[in-house]
This record gives sequence, C-alpha cells and structure tokens, in this order.
Amino acid sequence: MDPEDIDVVQPLDRERGISLEDFKLIKMHMSNYITKLAQNVKVRQRVVATAITYMRRVYTRRGLTEFDPRLVAPTCLYLAAKAEESTVQARLLVFYIKKMYPEDIRYRFEIKDILEMEMKILEALNYYLVVFHPYRSLTQFLQDAGMMDLMQFTWGIVNDTYKMDLILIHPPHLIALACIYIASVSKEKDSIAWFEELRVDMNVVKNISMEILDFYDNMMNNIEERINIAFSKLPLRSA
Amino acid sequence: MSEIDNLLTKKVADRYLKREVLGEGTYGVVYKAIDTKTNQTVAIKKIRLGKQKEGVNFTALREIKLLKELKDPNIIELIDAFPHKGNLHLVFEFMESDLEAVIRDRNIVLSPADVKSYLQMTLKALAFCHKKWVLHRDMKPNNLLIGADGQLKLGDFGLARIFGSPDRRFTHQVFARWYRAPELLFGTKQYGPAVDIWGAGCVFAELLLRRPFLQGSSDIDQLGKIFAAFGTPKPAQWPDMVYLPDYVEYQYVPAPPLRSLFPMASDDALDLLSKMFTYDPKARITAQQALEHRYFTSPPAPTNPASLPRPPRKGESIPKAPEINPTDGPTVLSPPRKLRRVMPNRTDGNEENVHNADKFDDHVGEGRTAGATSSRNDSVPMSIDFSVFGSRPPPRPTINR
Repeated sequence: MDPEDIDVVQPLDRERGISLEDFKLIKMHMSNYITKLAQNVKVRQRVVATAITYMRRVYTRRGLTEFDPRLVAPTCLYLAAKAEESTVQARLLVFYIKKMYPEDIRYRFEIKDILEMEMKILEALNYYLVVFHPYRSLTQFLQDAGMMDLMQFTWGIVNDTYKMDLILIHPPHLIALACIYIASVSKEKDSIAWFEELRVDMNVVKNISMEILDFYDNMMNNIEERINIAFSKLPLRSA
Repeated sequence: MSEIDNLLTKKVADRYLKREVLGEGTYGVVYKAIDTKTNQTVAIKKIRLGKQKEGVNFTALREIKLLKELKDPNIIELIDAFPHKGNLHLVFEFMESDLEAVIRDRNIVLSPADVKSYLQMTLKALAFCHKKWVLHRDMKPNNLLIGADGQLKLGDFGLARIFGSPDRRFTHQVFARWYRAPELLFGTKQYGPAVDIWGAGCVFAELLLRRPFLQGSSDIDQLGKIFAAFGTPKPAQWPDMVYLPDYVEYQYVPAPPLRSLFPMASDDALDLLSKMFTYDPKARITAQQALEHRYFTSPPAPTNPASLPRPPRKGESIPKAPEINPTDGPTVLSPPRKLRRVMPNRTDGNEENVHNADKFDDHVGEGRTAGATSSRNDSVPMSIDFSVFGSRPPPRPTINR
C-alpha cells in the first residue's frame, strides 16, 4: 500500500478534531495495548504481529469514531490467535482487559462485544487473513551474514516497527534488512560487503531505516501526554 | 427466472436468491442459490456461530483464510463471504458432483484416459497448494469436487494449514484413515506435502480399482493393510521410521508384485503409483514431479474434462421420483444417488438399502470438522464392491491378519 492511502483521517474523525498525528499516536498506543494483552494470555510474537497488522489494515478502511480502537485491538488479537492456529478464549481476553483497566469504563467489554466486532473486522479486512512478517527472513539473513549475535537487538527493532504502519507499506524481507542495517551501523559491524552481495535496492533499505530512526526520535518528546490528548478526542463509546 | 420463482425464493444480502437446502454440515446448513450479479448457481454455507461462545467457527476461518489465497482452476472458488443476521455466510461455486460418486457409480465406465485426467487435475490442485505452502490434509474422493464443465476441483480446506516454518509441530490426527500416510500413522508431528501425495496415491488406486484401496478398521490395522500391499518397510528404505513417536515393529511381510494388485493398470501408471506410495516421505514424489511423470505424456492422452463420464447431478430432483421402485432394477434415467445406492444391493434386503441411502445423505453437506472426519469415515458404506467389471470383481490386496 501507498503511505498516501494509509495516512487518511476519515471525515467523521476529522470532524472531531483528530489530526493525522493523533491517528498515528492512537494506532501506536493500540499496538502497545495488543502487545501487553498478548503477554497476559501468552501467545507467540507472530500472533501479536498479525493482530497489529489486522488493526492497522482495519483503520485504512474504517474510522476511529466508527470502530472503537479499545474494542478493535483486543478483537484483532482474538481473531489473529485463531487465524494463527493458537486460539485464545474470548472470556480470557475480557478478564485481562478488566484486570489491566479496572476503573476505566471505556475499556469495559463483554464477550459478545468481541464476537460482534470479530464479524465486522472480518468484513473490513475483506476476509484476507494471511500476513507475512519479517521474523522468518530476519533469522535467515542473520544466519547468512554470520551476525547471529545481533539477533536479540534486531528482533527488538522489528517488534518496534509494528508501532508504525511499515508492515502495510513494505515487503517483510526489506523491513528485516532495514532493521539489520540499523543494528549493524549502531553496533559498528562491517556489513557493507554482505549487503552489496544481496542485490537488493539499498536505497529502499536505507529509506526504511530512516523512517524507523525518525520514529524513534519522535517518540522522545513527552509521548504520554500527546497520546492522552489524542484519546480525549475519541467519543466515549462508538455507536 | 419467473415471477413465481422470485416469490418462492428469498433474497440474501441483496445478491443471492436462496434455493433448496443441499445438506447440513457440521458447522451449518449448505444451500443452493443464484448469484443475481453473475447469474451463476452457487452453494452458500451458513456458518452457525459456535455454542461455546467462540465466535466464527475455527474450521470455517481456516477455510476462508486459505481459500482467499488459493485461486486456481482446480481449487474450489470462494466467491464471496458476508454476514447476514449475525451469521457468516460463505459463497462457493456450485459443484455438481464429486469423485466419490464417480468411482461408486457402476453405470460409469472409467477408461485409462479418464483416470489419467482425474489424477492430473488432482495433482495440479495439490501442486498449486504446495507451491503456496498449504497442506490440504484431507485428500479423499469426496473432497474432489466436479463442476458442470467436468473440471475437478479440490474442496474442503477445513483441515488445511500453512506449513511455512520447518520446525512447527502439527497434529497427526488428520485425513480420513484410509488415506493417511504411514508417517502420520506412526505419529509424526513434523511432516510436509508428502502426506497429501500419499492421499492422492490412494485416490489414484481407488480410481483404478473402483473401491477404496486400503480399508483399515483401526490405525494399527491401517498400517497392516499398507504393509500387506507394499511390504513392511526396512530401515534402509525409510531411515527415520524407527524414530517416529508411535513406531512399533511389525512382523516382516514381503511386498506382493504391484502388478498383482492392479492387473489392469499400465506400466507407467504402476510406476507413478509406486512413487506416490514411497515409504520415506523425503523420497516420495512431489506433486510437480508427478505431473512431469511419463504417465502423463505416454498415450492415451488424458480425457478433456468436458468429456469425462459423470454421475447425475448432485441434489437434483430427489423429491420428484415417485416412479422409483427398487425392485424395478436399474434404468439409465434413474434419479441420482438413492437408486444407485440401492441397485447393487438389490438382493441384500431392503433394510440395508434404506440404511445406506440415509447415510449417504449425511454426506451431501460439505461442512466437516477435524474431529468428525475419522469417525464419520468409518461409517461410510464404501466396502460394497461397485465394480465396473460386473461379474469379475477386481482382486483385493491379500491381507495377512
């Protein structure tokens, strides 16, 4: 997908004063939320990545006002777990949501809410459920480059790329390469020869790397407050 | 479509005109409908939401997920999916029949060219799935559907899954038993496309014999039947065998000549068959290699799908058959299925016939789940010999148990 198709704030959301910046912050926060929720119910990283990708795909077609992100996020995790063959019970998700936000009525959902949203999400995704991720190629590349010592570091960077829309824009193997590029530069590993032999467009890899680094920079400035402001613009409970 | 038809049918989701129910599957009703957008006949599966409050049925979700990615002339097409009154509906192209009906219909004569055509389409479907990293895991004749144009299409992806990561462990409880590869019967958790090839080999054998080839009555018996047909594998033939979780040593049985089991088959057919039944899954022929086997280039050429012999249409005019009386014997114009089921048994007494016909109807529906597969297959009355060769039944493999 083109970034121009992704960075579109739906008319209803715009009416509520939600800016593109707010839109991105809310999606980032929901990605983190999915990750935390997933840690509680113990699913593989792959499921988390698929869930976040579903959530990001949904918001290329639907607005935040129309589809409450607080419900979309756990439902995407529910659906992704099923699609990745490691089902999580809806009641377990409901339990942990309550545990994470005991006081907050905006996060109060029942099993039936998740099941109803599941159907809507399937429709919004146009029933396309298979997602490819950078993790597999990451392992293969690092093995090939003899840089397995960078595994943990690059894996972390790949996880962070899900806080942005990169997975909707670039092929997974190029995202993996960009993460390896960042890691090898910051750890001062000489990887130039290896990258040259790959015969991939290094400009694309470097551009993705720049996007990731820009994102990290942007995260430094009182992020919590900006997220709170963005969320305050959402309706209490979507119709 | 006439006015009256319009009054009698119900429009679903503004696009589909609902017709008669085709059957009841394990996850919902299947009915016939007309797609007003294309004027095509379609089959709609209504997915009942699980009673366990777990949303969209897991098996249905698998099918949606994989069929969205698998678009091929030899794979059933998922045309559309939509929610309606809280239920999810899947729209498939309508298939008139399936290979099981072809194999069992004793009015049908399958020439070597016909068998070749059916096998080629089966292997094309598998080659496509495997290229897309999908294992079907439920190969059997009644999942090989036949369209109005004679094209064979692989259907029912409720057990299928992606096999990308080499270290993932899968369940070995897949396939109807008669089509299950020996590595699965020995409990392997890591397997690949070779399991589908074994299943396709069983279908090939069934096309040649006109009855299921290896009809085990339990998992142990299934291995016994396999070994009786191909000889007990020696470790040299299949080095990994002894390390499989449920491996047990079987008494050594030598293989009878394959020719003695398939007296009518050509040498090329036997050679391909033996390669599809290679014990070591690593050495077993792949779908792509099988398609390149000389069996497909040597004469006779595979029959053009449109000219293949087919049984009467599925689910057609069963209610309007008042003139049918089993004692009247076979007629060419006989309605499908029920009479056909009755014919070979005419002398066996009516109770049995009714019983078989009833069982058959359970199978009209497409919906099945993993758990139901094996037990259900046990009840399939497939052991009746529907030989095309009339008075001379094909030889069965000798079983020494």
